[in-house]
Amino acid sequence: MSPEPWVLGPAQAVLQGLNRVKRAPWLVAGVWLSTLLLAMPLAIVLHQQIGTHLGGSMAALGAADGVNYDWWNEFLAQTSGVGASFVPAILGFAAVIKNISTVADDVTAMPLVIAIAVAMYLLVSLFLAGGIIDRLARDRDLGAGAFFSACGVYFVRFVRLGVIASFVYWLIFGPYHAWLFDALYPALTADITVERTAFFIRLALYFVFVVPLYAFNIIFDYAKIRAVVEDRRSMIGALVASWRFVRRHPVAVGAVYKINILAFLLVIALYYLIAPGASADTLAFAIGQLYIVLRVIVRLLFAASQTALFQGRLAHAGYVARPIPKWPDSPAAEALGPR
Amino acid sequence: MAQPPAPIPAAQQAPPLLAGPPTQTGVSPRIANYDIDVTLDPPTRTITGTELITWHNQGVLAAYSIRLHLYWNAFRNTNSTWLKQRHLAGDDPFSNAEADDFGYTTVTKIAIVNEDGSDRVDLTKALHFISPDDQNGDDRSLAAADLADAIQPGQTLRLRVTWTGKFPRNFDRTGVIGNYFFVSQWFPKLGVFDQGWTAHQFFANSEFFADFGNYDVRMTVPKGWVVGATGVEQSRVDAGNKTTHRYAQDDVHDFAWTTSPDFIEKRQQFDMPGRAPVQLRLLIQPEHEYLADRHFAGAAAALKYYGEWYGAYPYPALTIVDPAWQSESGGMEYPTIFTGGTRWLSPRYSNDPEYVVLHEAGHQFWYGLVANNEVEFAWLDEGINEYSDSRVQAEVFQPNYLVQRFFGDFIPWQYRDIALQRATDTNYMNEYRRAPDRDSISTPTAMLWPGTHQNMSYHKAALMLHTLERMYTWEVMQKVLSIFFAKSKFKHPTPGDFFDTLNEVTGKDHKWFIDQVYTSSNTFDYAIDSLRSEAIEARGMLDSPDGTLKFQQPKVEGPYRTTVVARRLAAGQFPVDLLVTFTNGEQARVPWNGQGRWQVFTFDRPVKAASAQIDPERRLLLDTNYTNNSKTMEPASDRAATKWSLRWMVWLQDLFMTYAFLV
Repeated sequence: MSPEPWVLGPAQAVLQGLNRVKRAPWLVAGVWLSTLLLAMPLAIVLHQQIGTHLGGSMAALGAADGVNYDWWNEFLAQTSGVGASFVPAILGFAAVIKNISTVADDVTAMPLVIAIAVAMYLLVSLFLAGGIIDRLARDRDLGAGAFFSACGVYFVRFVRLGVIASFVYWLIFGPYHAWLFDALYPALTADITVERTAFFIRLALYFVFVVPLYAFNIIFDYAKIRAVVEDRRSMIGALVASWRFVRRHPVAVGAVYKINILAFLLVIALYYLIAPGASADTLAFAIGQLYIVLRVIVRLLFAASQTALFQGRLAHAGYVARPIPKWPDSPAAEALGPR
Repeated sequence: MAQPPAPIPAAQQAPPLLAGPPTQTGVSPRIANYDIDVTLDPPTRTITGTELITWHNQGVLAAYSIRLHLYWNAFRNTNSTWLKQRHLAGDDPFSNAEADDFGYTTVTKIAIVNEDGSDRVDLTKALHFISPDDQNGDDRSLAAADLADAIQPGQTLRLRVTWTGKFPRNFDRTGVIGNYFFVSQWFPKLGVFDQGWTAHQFFANSEFFADFGNYDVRMTVPKGWVVGATGVEQSRVDAGNKTTHRYAQDDVHDFAWTTSPDFIEKRQQFDMPGRAPVQLRLLIQPEHEYLADRHFAGAAAALKYYGEWYGAYPYPALTIVDPAWQSESGGMEYPTIFTGGTRWLSPRYSNDPEYVVLHEAGHQFWYGLVANNEVEFAWLDEGINEYSDSRVQAEVFQPNYLVQRFFGDFIPWQYRDIALQRATDTNYMNEYRRAPDRDSISTPTAMLWPGTHQNMSYHKAALMLHTLERMYTWEVMQKVLSIFFAKSKFKHPTPGDFFDTLNEVTGKDHKWFIDQVYTSSNTFDYAIDSLRSEAIEARGMLDSPDGTLKFQQPKVEGPYRTTVVARRLAAGQFPVDLLVTFTNGEQARVPWNGQGRWQVFTFDRPVKAASAQIDPERRLLLDTNYTNNSKTMEPASDRAATKWSLRWMVWLQDLFMTYAFLV
């Protein structure tokens, strides 16, 4: 059944989303900055750990100009906390592989301090989510005040939604993942003598793992979008409404999600081609940050295209139920006004 | 003694490439000789066998009993010494094992036989289990039987043993998974008799020890299955749906074999001027077929370099077995046959499979020919072999980049920025560094803490030998090892023999070295504590020519007194050099016996020092913390820390973005 001509298609939604992100450069900059500011304190700690370990040693010369792998191993054998995460996999594209592999294999496989940093980043993201969706939904710049007003208004609601999401994600990453990879996978491969076969079994299980992950991810995404666009206060209501929307537009919703995943894959493919080696210095950092900016754009594209799709199907472009916040004049302005 | 192979019809002979005399050596003492018939029954995972052991007492004492290893009983139940040791190390391979996963050996009959093969004395009832090493009454890996008539020096004992063996699941070296059978330590095997029996229970840490002899073995397996074994195939006879493969090899001290219908067979000939050719046979898993040439390259490198450095490989054939995935039988050596082990995805320039093939092929020299007691001094073969293969890797297989695997340990990622180095990486310095003091190399191998066997027998031993190389040069070490090899070939040398050779070649007594490095579990850590260059002239109140006290400032432009404080931060003592480099390029080198906890060195020069290094050539490879061995007046640590913390920050930002989809 072909959609009605006035119904927004997935490709149009993604294009609209891209344009909305393009029209919100401060949003891109802000989200990028949030990653930078949260990572920086730990980077300073690591800087101190590395600096202390190297001291005045001549080993520092090799470490500064290239990779001094022997020193690196020595450092890892003696360090803890942040330093324990300073492993070869931080180099270039290996970082991407390692991080995705961590999500796929064991989300807890990181030092506690890194896990706390990730949790803090997710909390900040949750705070920013309302403002981001509001900005992308309205598709026009209302200023920082309105942005943070929306952040504040929706933060408490999203925390409530987050509690439900956390439980669902815990089920998926916890018992469900354990059942798939700690019970089912060993049972399926116990007598397999061909590594390739075992790999394809694992690949299939990754697929089985990500299906509910993505399904719930989509529902939570649209719940946030409906909460913002329709100014919903009940997050259970938003979830139910999200489920209704997804159920009624499964193809379009799925297609938008897949196109966004494709965009993500394109970005990491690009990074694979340009990811710097160990010898470069300032340029390597710049390339790394450019990659992070592209990841931010893809992340915002997810939200923008999903919002565009929802608005195109159930509301209209730029429609947001909540009025634009208007602050009362300051007492000083009142004093200047007519008595 | 094994009978010479009977003539066989041409139609039944093995492919001509491997056919030939079972031996070209004839130089071992041929003490324990085995003539074995064994039949494999894959559905029940069992073997039934009969062996005739012809044992010559070449010792100086009479033997009043026999010792028989029944290694598969290590897998009989969780109370075996082998499994208790694994449990102690926190590893429980049998924790989820089913009944079919356990393995055992049951001797159904053992008898002393006459030369004509008739029974003389039935020892079946006299055979009993002993546990001399740990008094574990539940362990059945070693059996003994008293003899009514002692076997006097020069006399021969003929034993016929009939047994059944139930394969364990492959947990360690031997066993079955799917239709891949790796059959090692599978037959009742005599201990070594010299000043009495040397025979130990089967420990998780230790490997094996046996006397040289001639082996003639007939293995009956399902028709169409590929067989690889110690020695050279003599014949292949079909009978119904089964085939009997006969392999023979003289002058070896063990016999292992494998069979599977899945192997792909490849062959190459190794040629070396002045040496007999060696037929290389590779039994490779189909998914690894593209790595066949890299397997051959590893084996050829061992034969070439070990052959040049130490001595000739005397056997006509060498079989490389690529084990099935999850078989746990990889990386293990047996006479003229060994297992490699690689991965489905194995990037070039990663030395996988080259390293493991090279290492196990190297064991044909250090273990196969120089047959030290691996239960007591495994470092002699493992350490020398790791040291040697590391050297070969540096000569042949470069670059060797670091590889790590992701996504369930399947997908390899190769770090082209990190080329592994011989001194630290392929000597496994990083493994040693993590637990350097939990044991000493000199501890009998079986008695090492289960988790530190590798660290001591392989890594510390290799680092120790490489330290000796840096003390004396490779030419000296090569001489030491080649003389030791020549003296020990087809014998059972001890560590004392090795150190005697070292003393003899270098003309020095190494008691201090043995005390510090070999016998002790001490670690080593030398450091430069401080480096200062200050004006020599004193500052303050000094006598002036007119006899009065005057305040004096030192000249700014020098000369300078450079003061270096060196420290020994760990218990281990080792003589080291101090090298100071001055800003004009001049260098000063001073030896330090390294015995005190600290030492101050001073140098008066017209210029300041630029840097100071202790052990600048890194002769002491056992120093676990080399970063603190140097100090420079212009540290680059801030630059390095900035570079790496920024690099790390990108990774963390990517981690944030990876998890961001959840919000």
